[in-house]
Amino acid sequence: MSYLEFRSVTKRYGPVEVVAPFDLEVAEGEFVVFLGPSGCGKTTLMRMVGGLEQPSSGRILLRGQPLGPPDRRRGMVFQSYSAFPWLTVAGNVAYGMRYRRDLTAAEKRARTAHFLRLVGLTDFAHQWPNRISGGMRQRVAIARTLAAGSEILLMDEPFGALDALRRERLQLELRRIQREEGRTVIFVTHDVEEAAFLADRVIVFTRRPARILAEVDVTARLGPESTLELRGSAEFFALRNELLALVRSTDEEEEATAP
Amino acid sequence: MAGSRHRILIGTAASLGLILLWEAVSRSGAVSARFLPAPSVVVATLWTMIAERGLLYHAGVSTLRVWVAFLIAAAMAVPIGILMGSVRWIGAALEPVIDFIRYLPVPALVPLSIIWFGVGESTKIFLLWLGTFFQLVLLVADDVRRVPHEFHETAMTVGAPGWRRLTDVSLPAMLPTLVDNMRITLGWCWTYLIIAEIVAADSGLGFVIWQARRFFQTPEVMAGVITIGIIGLLTDQVIRAAHRRWFRYLVR
Repeated sequence: MSYLEFRSVTKRYGPVEVVAPFDLEVAEGEFVVFLGPSGCGKTTLMRMVGGLEQPSSGRILLRGQPLGPPDRRRGMVFQSYSAFPWLTVAGNVAYGMRYRRDLTAAEKRARTAHFLRLVGLTDFAHQWPNRISGGMRQRVAIARTLAAGSEILLMDEPFGALDALRRERLQLELRRIQREEGRTVIFVTHDVEEAAFLADRVIVFTRRPARILAEVDVTARLGPESTLELRGSAEFFALRNELLALVRSTDEEEEATAP
Repeated sequence: MAGSRHRILIGTAASLGLILLWEAVSRSGAVSARFLPAPSVVVATLWTMIAERGLLYHAGVSTLRVWVAFLIAAAMAVPIGILMGSVRWIGAALEPVIDFIRYLPVPALVPLSIIWFGVGESTKIFLLWLGTFFQLVLLVADDVRRVPHEFHETAMTVGAPGWRRLTDVSLPAMLPTLVDNMRITLGWCWTYLIIAEIVAADSGLGFVIWQARRFFQTPEVMAGVITIGIIGLLTDQVIRAAHRRWFRYLVR
């Protein structure tokens, strides 16, 4: 039995088919990147895992059990509005545990401190989200989902609004944290380099309706470590170019069918 | 904070300049003092009215009416507006009715309100409530709808039950705009209050102003109007200051 499983999942909005019958298995602790052109339906698939949208047909199973409405097992990290502005950094992290009855107040405090440290925000615990950088706000969101105890992190272009340097730093940290915490990640992006760098496995999507164009096992090609040195290696470039060619092919398809 | 001090300075200087200009025009005799008494005369009148004619009492009565009506309207508009904005069918059901009433000019409803409630306090409260509730409820509903879906979805994916999303997400997310909208609606209350007090009252600033007009006491009319202006200015500034204090987290 696989950990997370999409079984002929489809989605249509009225006459528009957004996701064609989609099958995929994700292993526990795997970092899967959904790569594809904007508006191709990859976000819809990710949101279905979160329970924020329902498949029109087919099923998504977590440990063999069909997924129900949203709960804290599947946490979201958005690109914008990722932290509540009226709560401090620490308050946002603690918010992940607000509805948990299995933790005492002391445990919640300890976990808040732990995850703040993990994302390097201990010194900013009492700061307001509006007064820290966009990169720090994304760390807050990551810490919040970890504190909530989400076993799957669903990340919707979380670093899309950051500058190149911050983005790289966060990518490194996300990879480290994901390894340390052993969580499963589904990460949506249209940035080829980001996909190559972060993923254990990249799923390349076609244009809408979303279909798998290609599956690239990054770990088999580059090894399990994501380091900055790796980023400069020939193997990394080859892989990046390969992904880029795949993504480009979906784009040409669009131009070819355009009137 | 030099910027804000600068603003206050400019604002004060401009207001003083305007008053001086007014004083000069009145003293020059270009306009009859019957129509445009000098500000010094108005201020003197204001003082006598406070000392001898119970102006502060009337101001207090008016302020009380405004606040009672406004608080009733707000206490109803906030929960109903939040429900309208978060539960689709409630919004769909109430919006047409509210939109219809919202467009009725309050003065047009004065006769009806007198038939229903007589000329006592309830008529005034009713008219003020009428003028603010229907406006505020729609503003609140819109504010709720403008809360980013990311906030709600964040709450859902950490396991927040539906009703907790109202109290833990919708309410705090909209609170700064809500306070702003309440501040603006409170100002409208004064408009309706004066209408109500002119039509049917034996107390309040509207009554004072209307009485003065009957005896062609232009300085008294102006003193009454200025009193309203001062109350408005003070209220507005107090609420703005509170807003800055409560919502410090908005400052980038």
